[in-house]
Amino acid sequence: METVLEVQDIVTRFGADVVHDGVGFSVQRGEVVALIGGSGTGKSVLLKEMIGLLRPTAGRVQLLGIDVWQSDEEQVDALRRRFGMLFQDGALFSSLTVAENIAVPFREHTDLPEALIAPLVGFKLSLVGLTPETGRKAPSELSGGMRKRVALARALALEPEILFLDEPTSGLDPIGARAFDRLVRALSDSLGLTVFMVTHDLDTLLSIIDRTIALSQGKVIADGPVAAVMRSDHPWIQEYFSARAPHEEGTR
Amino acid sequence: MAGERRWISPALEDGANVLYLQGRWRLSHVPGIAAEIDALKLAGDHCVLDGSRLEELDTAAGFLLLRRLAALGCIAGTVEVRSMADGHSRLLTLVRERMAAPSVAAPSGHRGALERVGRATIRIWRILQAQVTFLGQVALEIAAALRRPRLFRLKETVSQFETVTLDAIPIVALVTFLIGVVFAYLLGVQAQRFGATIFVVDGVGLAICRELSPILVAVIVAGRSGAAFTAQIGSMKVQEETDAIRTLGLSPIQVLVVPRLVAIMAGLPLLVFVGDVAGIAGGMLIGALQLDISPAAFLARLHTVLPMTALAVGLAKAPVFAAFIALIACRMGLAVARDARSVGEHTTSTVVQSIVWVIVLDAIFAVALQRLGI
Repeated sequence: METVLEVQDIVTRFGADVVHDGVGFSVQRGEVVALIGGSGTGKSVLLKEMIGLLRPTAGRVQLLGIDVWQSDEEQVDALRRRFGMLFQDGALFSSLTVAENIAVPFREHTDLPEALIAPLVGFKLSLVGLTPETGRKAPSELSGGMRKRVALARALALEPEILFLDEPTSGLDPIGARAFDRLVRALSDSLGLTVFMVTHDLDTLLSIIDRTIALSQGKVIADGPVAAVMRSDHPWIQEYFSARAPHEEGTR
Repeated sequence: MAGERRWISPALEDGANVLYLQGRWRLSHVPGIAAEIDALKLAGDHCVLDGSRLEELDTAAGFLLLRRLAALGCIAGTVEVRSMADGHSRLLTLVRERMAAPSVAAPSGHRGALERVGRATIRIWRILQAQVTFLGQVALEIAAALRRPRLFRLKETVSQFETVTLDAIPIVALVTFLIGVVFAYLLGVQAQRFGATIFVVDGVGLAICRELSPILVAVIVAGRSGAAFTAQIGSMKVQEETDAIRTLGLSPIQVLVVPRLVAIMAGLPLLVFVGDVAGIAGGMLIGALQLDISPAAFLARLHTVLPMTALAVGLAKAPVFAAFIALIACRMGLAVARDARSVGEHTTSTVVQSIVWVIVLDAIFAVALQRLGI
């Protein structure tokens, strides 16, 4: 197994607030990993630190063999083409149509001719389960679930090795959320994609996740397969799973 | 077999087409791969994909290959995959499942010139219609507030008045002062030739009070406050704040529009007066420096030649301009769609519409007042 992401001793402080106090874990190629934790435990902050958007106070992030915070801008730029990020509300560019949104990474980072970009954009749309007609719409005309799918298509445009998802199913109805889960899992299985997501969604955890990392009070309190994490006796984890667990265990 | 083939080696084995895929089929190599795929020719509609020499494969390359094969007549049933890594064949399967839909997504947004002009004309008509509807709604809300004064939001109105009027005084004074200077100077250059410099006072007084100050101030307020109104209300619309107002049983027009309308209608005449004073002061400065008219003589002359009606006409136009600016700005704000670009577009549109309307109204005033002999 090849380690594609390694986070070591991350410390994050905002003023006197200590958000992370020595967080560390690693992710192997092809894994689908979820990061869970209560509100305000710095999950999204950690995600931003891993992809080079926010500098941690201390610690090291090794992504695809490159130290995100020690390398020069050129190396990090090259790295950015090798992972995709799905922001919470999609973060589609509102001045562009859906098709143009997906074409942005192709136009900026490859020298593909327009004649190839158009069919590839159409294919990316069908890959995430949308019709090519969606491409002509403006992002504001789409529902929340469709925006996320478009954002996923854009994140997948450059054939990333790792996909980061920030609460991919929040704001979706249960049917849409499960469909999105299945899509992510299918892509991961078929493309060998490594997926790292921040999520609150227990159903996601119990259905498509290989490994769960739980964050509480600035530390990793559990790291392992969902079933093992559920057995942890940490009070927060107990509370987290207690609401739904019996029912879920019965059905899956 | 043709010489340089980097990505695909076609071969005929036992009468079947065999395509040996080779190398790293990555997005960065896709232009080269695509060229070879497009040059591909098959005998019959059956082929075998051999992956034994394939090192890497991603969806873009896989998609282009399968698309070409489909165009050549090889579909799911007639394409066979052999000695391919599990991951690669799973990827091809996924691509085949997902590519079913026709792949045309190129935006075809280009319109002919005639169509554009036509659409723009229809849009103007729609805007006018919506504007009249909105005017009616606002009138109803004001009537409601008159019947039940508790509905009227005094605090919000005062705070809007402060930003619209007090904060605008420096810029209004500066602009009209400079226009007074320019106008007096140009007029003075002409008048000096005839030794009639004292008439500069008549010209500056009349022009500033009756036309220049109202128009300039209205344009400044349209750019400053009109744009701000649209942007504020538009962002609230994007954040669904206007819906929240409605669900709380309040009327967005009563809460957002009426205070702004009242504030700007009360504020604009005051700003026009500030503009009058500053413009005349500008004229006075040029009179003293350039034309040998002492401030005392300037004011004495102004006293006799500037009719009260000129000042009154200028001040009376201001609330009308103000009402149009506020109504346009608020309606454009409420018409914002749920995205950031829309806020920008509507804000621009507010400024353009407001300025156009100020000038149209001013022309109407000029003709009407002339007919009335004022």
